[in-house]
Amino acid sequence: MRINRRTFLNASLASLTVAAMPKALAMGQESFKSEFQKALLNKPFLSGYQSAAQTSYQGKVSLKGKLPKALQGTLFRNGPAQHEIGDFRYQHWFDGDGMIHAYQLGDGALNHRSRMIETTKYKAEQAEGRAMYPGFGTIPENPGALTSPDLVNVGNISVLPHHGKLLALWEAGSPWEIDPDSLKTEGLYQFSDDTRGVPFSAHPRVEPDGTLWNFGYVSGANLIVFWHIDKNGKIVKMGKVKSDPISMPHDFVVTKNHIVMLMPPLNYSRSNRHGAFLDVHNWQPEQSTRVLVVDKSDFNQHRWLELPSQWVFHFGNAFEDKNGVIQFDGARASDPSVMTENFRAIMRGEVLKPEPSHLYQYRIDTKSWLVSEESVLPDTIDAEFPTIDPRVSTEQHKNLVFMSSDIKSPAVHQNLNQVSRFNYQSGELTSFRYPDSQIPEEHLFVPAANSRPESKGWVLGTAHDWQKAETVLNIFDYEAVDAGPIASATLPYGMPLGLHGKFVSG
Amino acid sequence: MLGWMMFLLVALAAKPASAASLEIVIENSLVAEGQIMIRLLQGEAEFKGESPAYAALQRRATMGEIRFVIDDLPDAEYGLQVMHDTNGNGELDTNFVGMPREPWAFSNNATGNMGPPKWQDIKFSLDSDSHQSIRLNH
Repeated sequence: MRINRRTFLNASLASLTVAAMPKALAMGQESFKSEFQKALLNKPFLSGYQSAAQTSYQGKVSLKGKLPKALQGTLFRNGPAQHEIGDFRYQHWFDGDGMIHAYQLGDGALNHRSRMIETTKYKAEQAEGRAMYPGFGTIPENPGALTSPDLVNVGNISVLPHHGKLLALWEAGSPWEIDPDSLKTEGLYQFSDDTRGVPFSAHPRVEPDGTLWNFGYVSGANLIVFWHIDKNGKIVKMGKVKSDPISMPHDFVVTKNHIVMLMPPLNYSRSNRHGAFLDVHNWQPEQSTRVLVVDKSDFNQHRWLELPSQWVFHFGNAFEDKNGVIQFDGARASDPSVMTENFRAIMRGEVLKPEPSHLYQYRIDTKSWLVSEESVLPDTIDAEFPTIDPRVSTEQHKNLVFMSSDIKSPAVHQNLNQVSRFNYQSGELTSFRYPDSQIPEEHLFVPAANSRPESKGWVLGTAHDWQKAETVLNIFDYEAVDAGPIASATLPYGMPLGLHGKFVSG
Repeated sequence: MLGWMMFLLVALAAKPASAASLEIVIENSLVAEGQIMIRLLQGEAEFKGESPAYAALQRRATMGEIRFVIDDLPDAEYGLQVMHDTNGNGELDTNFVGMPREPWAFSNNATGNMGPPKWQDIKFSLDSDSHQSIRLNH
């Protein structure tokens, strides 16, 4: 038996994707916490970026209005919730350790509970009482060796209910399996032995029949990985596409026949590997945003197209019309500064004016392979978190539900402050503006059972009330979002601002 | 007596100039399955796989600490690649994108920075009896 050189260590380790940290960049870490605390005195709306005071919550909610009896199920949400360890404060919002929330609705009542996701990193750092590992945008002092992405996988971005499992998702590693009742972390979830540790991004697309598509990126190896999983959680196929340069794609779309992904010019640097993962990416706006179109039936069949330089965090939906034109929508920003600058500055209490994102519609002609883009709404509307009735995924959708703000009259906290619904057919845009005392988070459309797609249902979303130190779950009638919530459930505590969620009916 | 003298002379002649021992201790084998495999490298070309390793060692894995000793090594710069071939198939198993699925390590416990470590990170001088305590990355 001889050591096989072809598969020995050097080649294998090229896949590790998170940076180790030089000491020089560890300077000024203590001031992040003190600067944030000082800023909080003058800007109390920053309270959503404080750490959760407890590792789990369960409390009695107070109800205003009447919860619809037909609305039965659980809204699971995820987001960074632990931003500090001792005197150390993370230097990017996305570094916070994840917390899972369950808002359980049924029989006119609502219960909330939440729990920290007990990742390897979280458990080790809590036990030691200090930050030990490099993160997305943070370098602790004397960081430990980074031996695999899952070592620093904080599972803090989104949730995926699928084949009876509840998974907490990060972006560069494996899902964490969560017990949906106790919210206890069961461990890393592996779809198969061969895909152990293969990145599984935070925005998988699930078709109405349960078929699941996802991607992952391996920056060090210039690879985009694609997953095709059936409704029972079995891998149907996997694929790899080379991307050089490679960016940090966060979301993608699928149609009946294609996968579409944007590769903005936030390029991973192969030469400068000093700094946190975010720091080893360079924004190069002189370059185009490349568009990757992959055949769903054969991941080896793909092509690259080009759009002007832009950044898109989130897409709505995609479909192909009868002429073979792929259409999809997304929230288009001119650059990724919200992530590269704002979400870092906010951790030391600095509130930067965000670069707005606008709702755009994209078209790709699969005969000519021409790609085009068009603004959907006036430039004064900042829009993000576009969502649809999940029953029309990959079909032509008529409506989008999203978060927005009017650029001419921003909220004092500078976050999006409206929940909106846009109808493509009528062109009607309806919005409800939250009071400045509340910072709304992502809102989702929950269809009423047995209703026609995009007809009846509710829009559910949470908001952080920084004046009262409470978190509120609001329920809107889908047909009258602008009328404001028909019911509000107020938790007796304020939860840190989070990211994404999913509703599970039943 | 002459015979004994002759034996000593032969033994001394066979030993390379300034020969030294290298003790390698694998500190944290978690399972008593498969083999611990070590490649002893002399120079960057061997590290890059451009020429065969100076030596290769393997031993059935036990749990906990596993000790290797290599005697009579000439003074030079060396590096170590270590893997725990838990399923005994002779390879470092990797996942779909090439990440190791079996424990691995390098000398100096080097781990690299978004990729494998460089020769500079793993090399060590053997100018007297040397010791490498190595923790496997699981």
